[in-house]
Amino acid sequence: MLVVNGLRATVGEKEILQGLNLTVNPGEIHAIMGPNGSGKSTLAHVLSGRDGYTVTGGSATFAGQDLLALEPEQRAHLGLFLAFQYPVELPGVNNTYFLKAALNSIRKARGEAELDAVSFLRFIKEKLKILHLDESLLKRAVNAGFSGGEKKRNEIFQMALLEPKLAILDETDSGLDIDALRVVADGVNALRSPERSMIVVTHYQRLLDYIQPDFVHVLAKGQIIRSGGKELALELETTGYGWIDAEGLAA
Amino acid sequence: MTDHALMSWLPPLAPAAPAWLATLQAAARAQVQTQIAAPDAEAWRYTSLNHLLEQGFVPIDETITALQPDDLDEVLIAGLDSRRVVFVNGRYAPELSATEALPPGVHLDSLRELLAHDPDAVRALLPAESATLPLFMALNVAGLDDGLVLRLDRAAILAQPLELIHLSIGLDQPSVAQPHHLIVLGDGAQATLVERYVSLGAAVYCTNAVIEIQLGRDAVLTHERLQTESKNAFHLSGLSLRQGANSRYQSVNLGLGSRWSRTELLTEFCAAHAECDLRGLYLAGDEQRIDYHLDVNHAVPNCTSRETFKGIIYGKGRAVFDGRVVVAKDAQKSDAAMSNQNLLLSPQAEIDTKPQLEINADDVKCSHGTTVGQIEPEKLFYLRSRGISAALARRMLCLGFADEIIHTLHSETLREHLSEQVGQRLESAPWD
Ligand SMILES: Nc1ncnc2c1ncn2[C@@H]1O[C@H](COP(=O)(O)OP(=O)(O)O)[C@@H](O)[C@H]1O
Ligand SMILES: [Mg+2]
Repeated sequence: MLVVNGLRATVGEKEILQGLNLTVNPGEIHAIMGPNGSGKSTLAHVLSGRDGYTVTGGSATFAGQDLLALEPEQRAHLGLFLAFQYPVELPGVNNTYFLKAALNSIRKARGEAELDAVSFLRFIKEKLKILHLDESLLKRAVNAGFSGGEKKRNEIFQMALLEPKLAILDETDSGLDIDALRVVADGVNALRSPERSMIVVTHYQRLLDYIQPDFVHVLAKGQIIRSGGKELALELETTGYGWIDAEGLAA
Repeated sequence: MTDHALMSWLPPLAPAAPAWLATLQAAARAQVQTQIAAPDAEAWRYTSLNHLLEQGFVPIDETITALQPDDLDEVLIAGLDSRRVVFVNGRYAPELSATEALPPGVHLDSLRELLAHDPDAVRALLPAESATLPLFMALNVAGLDDGLVLRLDRAAILAQPLELIHLSIGLDQPSVAQPHHLIVLGDGAQATLVERYVSLGAAVYCTNAVIEIQLGRDAVLTHERLQTESKNAFHLSGLSLRQGANSRYQSVNLGLGSRWSRTELLTEFCAAHAECDLRGLYLAGDEQRIDYHLDVNHAVPNCTSRETFKGIIYGKGRAVFDGRVVVAKDAQKSDAAMSNQNLLLSPQAEIDTKPQLEINADDVKCSHGTTVGQIEPEKLFYLRSRGISAALARRMLCLGFADEIIHTLHSETLREHLSEQVGQRLESAPWD
């Protein structure tokens, strides 16, 4: 589904991704862990097409297409979704209008019929329940004045609505209390399917108690320096990331 | 001097005009001449009159009778609950108006008719001596012809909004119309006025309207001004507002249409504890230019004013926001907050913004703030990452920006209509 090969990317003069390899097959959940500043968000942004990064080497293929050649919206049309580490507030942009525009843009790009107002509302209300979100959310402006937890749940709510093939969750767990974490994890788990893959970026292994990953990778200094199963996350929990400098990238 | 292009905007004085009116008009005419001879450089710092004067506008003494009520359909807003008064090229058009069953204490007349039948009633509504007015407001008074006279007696309530429609149709010759409206709310009276400026067709014409408003003690007026004229229209309008004690005036000024437009809002508190809320949204694109000039006078203590204007400028559009709040020496406890935020969508778009506070009292709360910016890339990316095209995403963000003003309109129908109008105009906006 996603094959990232030797990906290098810079911000300004600084090389953040330094030859990153990652393969995600349908239905798999990959956790990416790593210290702050190691390039996790950069990877998520480069894959979803945010401006401000220069890809200087390597490739990323998604659903058989050269991902890096596409506009952000085209990537979404193909089934890529990014749950933002810092969801953006859009004052004055009504949430329902936004969600409908997003869903119908994607449906249209895929040659599917756009949903009318009634079927859209029915659909959306089902999804709200999954995330324990109040209907009043629909009347508000996108993320404007939302609490940290509401913003994160709104991200997963959008994911539930847009039903992507590959979702990248960038530190969706950070800033959540344990109840909110459970709700978010339930929402994510409800979307697990043999066709849907996820990349779960997290700083702590806590989230992985609720979302069982198939693979765990350690990202440091712009590369995946270790990969393993779920037990790697537990190991990181006890060792922390201090060993990275010692072990370094010598290998 | 008399051959200045602006002097030809004036019709000959009506021979039957009462002496007091002739005096008033002559004084206004003298003001116009003085200002032509020595233009107020500050007031015209950002705007050249050349384009307007080149058009050779002349007044047309003609009542357009060819219009049928059907012709109005394309300018009416479906579903808007209102009574309406229609002026066609500045003249009252009773056959197009719908003002049946006004509530008790509400009087609605055409200025022209009232002048003919009860000139003293008009005299009582006009200021005794002519204050110094901005150029085009003086010109309007000098050319006084017709307008709406709306009077609400003490405690009268006009619950259903009144739509005041300025409908303009191009004639063979580029024409100018100068309607002059008088709105007087007695103590405790309440009304909602929706003032609209619309065009039939796309001919070149000019409207130079003045609306004078007096609010009695405790009166409440909601005033929404929607300018959606054609891309060839020239538009000038001036508000002169005087507020009594404890009165409330809330207005929304939307400037979306016309090629060249200038709006002057002059407000004055005449007694304490009054509130004045001026909000506005302007959209200038292509070759459009839109100016707003505010002159808010805190002449007495304990009054509150808000000035909140937002602008979206694209293509080669130009806009001016020139806002002035003056707090008089004795106007203690004045509370004023002015803000002007602008979104520039293209490198050639231009805004001149000049908010000013002139504070002569020491115990006041006054602030102002201005921003000029572009669409924020992270907002754009957020929308695009959800599958929304860049063009639609930009439009959504502009509408979101505009919404702070649009959502304050009194009816859902109007809010939807205006959002749609803004959206449509942005659809054709070039983005670079
Ligand atoms: N827009 C930017 N400008 C400059 N440096 C940046 C920018 N974005 C990220 N960086 C730098 O890139 C590195 C990786 O950042 P990031 O991908 O956000 O890390 P993580 O998500 O793993 O914490 C950090 O050193 C950060 O300071
Ligand atoms: Mg990060």
